[in-house]
Amino acid sequence: MPIHKHKGDIFDLDAAIQHMAHWLPSQGPIKDFIHHNTLHAVQHFPFHEGVAVAAKVFGARSYLPLADYQQRFQTGRITPDAIDWAIAQSGCSTQDAQILRDSMFKDDHTSHHPPISLANDGIRNAWVNRLEIDLNALVHPVMFRLLSNYLDQGISRWALPKNGENFWDCVVRLTLNSLIPLYPFHQSIVREMLRENPEQVILTCLEKIVGDESLYSQYLLEVLLGHPGWSGMVHIIEGNPQALLAPRMISLKQMLAVELACELAFVDKKKGTHFLKIAELPELAAIPLFDEDHLTPQVPLKLRVWHEAMEWSLHSELLAALRDQPAPKVAQAAPEVQAIFCIDDRECSLRRYLEEVHPGVETFGAPGFFGIDFLYQGLDDVYPVAQCPAVIKPKHLIKSSTTLQRAPKKDPRQDLSKMHFSAHSMARGWIYTQTLGFAYAARLAWSVFRPATKLPGIRTLSELEAHGNLHLLRESDEPNEDGYLLGFSLAEMADRVAGLLRSIGLTQNFAPLILAAAHGSSSVNNPHFAAYDCGACAGKPGAPNARAFAWMANHPGVRDILRQRGIDIPDTTHFAASMHNTSRDEMTYFDEPSLDKSVHPQMQAFKRAMGIALERNARERCRWFELGPQTPDNKVAHRHVVTRALSIFEPRPEYNHSNNLYCVVGRRQLTRHLFLDRRAFLQSYDPQSDVDGELLAKILSAIFPVCGGINLEYLFSRIDNSMYGAGTKLPHNVIGLLGVANGVEGDLRTGLPSQMIEVHEPARLLIVVEQCTDVIDQALVKLAGLREWVDNDWVRFVSCDPQTRALMLYGQQGWQKITLPSALVAPSAKRSEAVIVGQTKTIPVHQLTGRHV
Amino acid sequence: MNVLLLACVLLPLLGLSLIFLSDGNEHKIARISLWVTRAMSLSIIALLALWALSGFKAYEYQWFVLYQQDDYQFPLLFYLDRVGAAYLFCVGMIFTIIVKYCRVYMHRDAGYQRFFQTIFTFAFGLNVIVLAGSIDMLFAGWEVVGISSFLLIAFYRHRWQPVRNALRAYTIYRLCDVGLLMGAWMSHMLFHESQHFSQMAGLFDQAIEPAGYAALSVLSWLIILAASGKSAQFPFCFWLPRAMEGPTPSSAIFYGALSIHLGVFLLLRTMPIWSFNFLPRLMIFSIGLLTVIVASLSEKTQSNIKGQVAYASIAQVGFMFIELSLGLETLVLLHFMSNAFLRCYQLLVSPSIVAHLLRVEGAVDTDFYIKDQRKLQYLPNSLRDVLPDVLQNTLYVFALQEGQLELLVRNMLWEPLKKLGRTLNQVSAWIKWLTVLALLVWLLIAVAEVSGVAGTYLSMPVSLLMVLVSASAFSQKHSPFKVWNSIAISSFLAALAVWLMVPSALFDLFLFLSGIVPAWLLGLLAMYFLLKNDNFAESSFRYRAFSETRPGLSLLLFLSFLGLVGFPITPAFLGEDLLLSHASSQHPWFAAPITIAFVVNGIAAARVFMRLCMGRPVEVKEFRL
Repeated sequence: MPIHKHKGDIFDLDAAIQHMAHWLPSQGPIKDFIHHNTLHAVQHFPFHEGVAVAAKVFGARSYLPLADYQQRFQTGRITPDAIDWAIAQSGCSTQDAQILRDSMFKDDHTSHHPPISLANDGIRNAWVNRLEIDLNALVHPVMFRLLSNYLDQGISRWALPKNGENFWDCVVRLTLNSLIPLYPFHQSIVREMLRENPEQVILTCLEKIVGDESLYSQYLLEVLLGHPGWSGMVHIIEGNPQALLAPRMISLKQMLAVELACELAFVDKKKGTHFLKIAELPELAAIPLFDEDHLTPQVPLKLRVWHEAMEWSLHSELLAALRDQPAPKVAQAAPEVQAIFCIDDRECSLRRYLEEVHPGVETFGAPGFFGIDFLYQGLDDVYPVAQCPAVIKPKHLIKSSTTLQRAPKKDPRQDLSKMHFSAHSMARGWIYTQTLGFAYAARLAWSVFRPATKLPGIRTLSELEAHGNLHLLRESDEPNEDGYLLGFSLAEMADRVAGLLRSIGLTQNFAPLILAAAHGSSSVNNPHFAAYDCGACAGKPGAPNARAFAWMANHPGVRDILRQRGIDIPDTTHFAASMHNTSRDEMTYFDEPSLDKSVHPQMQAFKRAMGIALERNARERCRWFELGPQTPDNKVAHRHVVTRALSIFEPRPEYNHSNNLYCVVGRRQLTRHLFLDRRAFLQSYDPQSDVDGELLAKILSAIFPVCGGINLEYLFSRIDNSMYGAGTKLPHNVIGLLGVANGVEGDLRTGLPSQMIEVHEPARLLIVVEQCTDVIDQALVKLAGLREWVDNDWVRFVSCDPQTRALMLYGQQGWQKITLPSALVAPSAKRSEAVIVGQTKTIPVHQLTGRHV
Repeated sequence: MNVLLLACVLLPLLGLSLIFLSDGNEHKIARISLWVTRAMSLSIIALLALWALSGFKAYEYQWFVLYQQDDYQFPLLFYLDRVGAAYLFCVGMIFTIIVKYCRVYMHRDAGYQRFFQTIFTFAFGLNVIVLAGSIDMLFAGWEVVGISSFLLIAFYRHRWQPVRNALRAYTIYRLCDVGLLMGAWMSHMLFHESQHFSQMAGLFDQAIEPAGYAALSVLSWLIILAASGKSAQFPFCFWLPRAMEGPTPSSAIFYGALSIHLGVFLLLRTMPIWSFNFLPRLMIFSIGLLTVIVASLSEKTQSNIKGQVAYASIAQVGFMFIELSLGLETLVLLHFMSNAFLRCYQLLVSPSIVAHLLRVEGAVDTDFYIKDQRKLQYLPNSLRDVLPDVLQNTLYVFALQEGQLELLVRNMLWEPLKKLGRTLNQVSAWIKWLTVLALLVWLLIAVAEVSGVAGTYLSMPVSLLMVLVSASAFSQKHSPFKVWNSIAISSFLAALAVWLMVPSALFDLFLFLSGIVPAWLLGLLAMYFLLKNDNFAESSFRYRAFSETRPGLSLLLFLSFLGLVGFPITPAFLGEDLLLSHASSQHPWFAAPITIAFVVNGIAAARVFMRLCMGRPVEVKEFRL
């Protein structure tokens, strides 16, 4: 991608900034963590080329170190067949292939380190070296302090901006109207300049620093990428001020103006008014520029082949198992209970265990917001939060209220047990410290040596009180002052319920009890908590959605409308809501008093089964925890995961999506007898009810960004945790409730911390759709822009024929038949427990033979 | 009791060496550290219990004399009293908690072994300080704590911020060590062999000679300097928040709980020295007061949680200084323990702040500006529209920039030194040769023993030269070899100057140089191999990350760095003390140049080590055009 060049004589600043902005990370404030493709900037390239370009720009690794792949080959996790396949895919000639094959197994001591970053080692760096000023070390602390204080959401006791004041005005006010100089803006050259507007300041500074218009955008980009975290945050907030609870008016242009003024001030201070401009650098011609010529991707062929071979080895484990699944039987009798889980890979194993324990349960998978998009404000919440995928802009606001008399909420600032986080005056601080410190000795010792016995006082959202009522039915069509509709009309409810039921293929054969099981995660001492919750709810626990869904589907008015639209839910069918706590492996059931008596027996049976399933699930998770108990006792395992979620010293309350690798869109029968090792996103989809790909298009438009986003974020954070990820979480410091940084002066860290990705196998997502290729083709046409994901290979896309189970791989050349070696057969085992025993690494897909039909 | 005392000091050392010798297996390290910690806290409890049973009496124990010559002796001396007991209790408790915490917290971290090594080094240094019976012993512990602190700040060494901040903290430490080094030397002079803490209180019972006042005042100032540097008091507040770069528990134990209160400890220990006069008291009071003001204002505008806790802690230590100056010893002890636990807890749970503020408090915005118009009416009409705004802005800018203290310190101390060094580095080569020649002539004059006092006068230009060479090392950016050589030359010159003054000290000089010379040569060798294929001057600002790519040589360089700066692992540490005591017992002025050189050399050497060994490795060749 060429960066913006000036047209004619005029350098167009706005256009240049707009062009640069797509290089910035797009991670919003940490309170809602939305997974996305870390390298969205290069998504218009094919995968390997995009990765190569990004590697060069950011100075990051493209793949795992060579030795890792070789080691995987030795332990059998990369198969020779897969290497053959990957070499064939690479498109090199036969002789080259032989040379390649020979060199693949040799040691290579040069491929361990990432390249020098083009963005941090360009003209700016050369200039700074020449001037002998460590400019970043001078400018960044000043900038980060101003930005974090301006954007701060409540950590600092004094807010920087006055009402509605923008960043630029703030800085100008502090500089021009304070008795103490704001360092370094008091430098006279800058002080004079600040009376102009930001655009003018940028141009003046560029004139003085760079001196050649054709290099302006290059310079600005290098400035921005000097601190990608903050630049990205400013860009996000500029585009969506609602991302912050206390809105702030800031733009990249303002930030650049302040930063350039700051740079100029420092250079002026150290070198006087006449210093060497960038345009006058003697080595200018030799410095690589950020344009097309230098961004021609050079994919390291050997590593590419290794990587694809690793992916294909893993992918063919699932494909071989799917190939051998029998064709589906005709519908059986209605099950006792149907449970709709989130598509999330963490529910994959829970569903398997639930079905094992209770044969009368049929499970479905759907995105965990249950098709209901709204803003939610709970009883104790001060602000409403969006409860739907990031791509949807909700228009409805749901509040919860209670009929119970509640004690007036204590002002937390007066609560002594919360003293350690609240503000107080100097004198009070003295007295508190003198008197209360010893209590903290006890409290500290307690929470380190007896972690699970008492919560350290921080309530987590997933433990929210379930007693409030949701105000779902809209009473008037007047939007409130923020432009939101308060609640849904019956028709809108029916739209949403029907949408979900159709997409998962549940339009007939209803069980008496249907459970919507959302999920959330509770952890303590974890600023990334939002990344552990439901991705389809924009990083929130999905409880309100499940409750809303159950309420709507139970509503007689809604059912009437559904009936007119051909979905006849019998009156004997009742919906209920619950939430799975994925870190503690506990299930909370909501609104039980309002559940119809007729289904109480089913509910009791379900709860019992669920209790057992949760314990087994906890044991399966424990095999990943090196310090956890490797025990056959499910109860011990369960106790361990609860303790883990409550320990303030535990940086890994759970391993999240660490295992994600597959996504299967199809009927449960296709995967019901498979042990998938918690690796699969499972979306229910009935191929027979979708002849024109309408439903599939809708499903895929959620799966690509959500599941693909999760997958690629884990992948890149794992491949280069320093650059694409957030590094280790241990030294993280929370900045302004916006994000985390290393220490007090660091740049914001984007991506995932190493504790979340350390056991991840960085392979692209394999999406298997149970549908014939021509319907899929029709669906893909409807996807428009999202086709990039499959066309450029950012996910692997495979069709599995609903009848013959023939497998076809999608590629730029169209569908390509997959022929797996016939010797490759999924190993079989009787029960899940037999598979996991003694295993601490990922396990290939197994065929389970001991399950109920 | 003696055995327990020794156990408290030596057990962390045992832990350190066991972990160092282990094969890096995490579980083994965890087992070692847990058991050693248990043993240590048991011996602390037993020691304190025994001490309590014996009626809380101050207790002194001399293990053996490490070195003795003439009237100089360096005994390994331990001392336990109320103050020491309070500190020891906190050390034991917090250290135990932190080790348990880190067992899981640090799990799978690449630096697991490194972390536990460093933290045991820290515990060792801490116990030496707390149980030290003399200022010399205390200084040894002080240095150990300083280095382990430096290593933990730069724990994540592949990023440049931690590395820079570690250097920043280290420079302040180093600067303030001067206070302690000279303090140790002065106490030798003033109290001779009776510099035991145990005898200090009794020292002032008899009337002090008038001459003693001046010396005691200087000594008090030096101690105050050392204390305020370590405790991040005015004007050194700024380094503490920036030191929060290591893993959270290490920040908690260092900058929340223990290390930051060492300044208070030093003042408590040396109370008899400085409390005799109102002047040092007033100084401590004003340092405390200024700190409280600056720190509590700065705290208000900290938008990151660790910085906020850091400033809150600094402010409390400021209060402790005030209490100390008023003589409220017991209150200080209580305050210290209480603050240590509170800050430790706060830092450990600091990641919860997001959840806490969003879910519990629901306070996302805070107030600073006067929004209430009624409050304005108390101001005169003419000022209503102008002044409040200006004042608000001024206050905010003051708080935002944390009182400009960093700038102040930089401009006062480092900039002049840098400028001097830069000028020196531009001096042409043959002037340098001329100087060497002059030096040789000088030497000949001295050897010829033209007159008895010649040596004294000759040593003056030599020591001046020593400072100049150190300054040139300080601002040399382009060649690590030059820096290294300059530091060594500076040390040789120090030895030469002492020899000129006190020819009889030859043996001690050899002792000193026997630490310096191997370190110097070893460092040169390590750098030669490290930089063989590298043109350093071409990009002298890049961190070269050799500790990842060439760990063996980096360790060598680190050890030689420690040797060169007189860390208590080589004879150079003892030698440094000896040089001081020898030379300045007759010529007190000499203390100034040698300590300046000592500080500056340390910083310059640390800088070389960081540039070479820290950072993230990259493929350099790819884009060289």
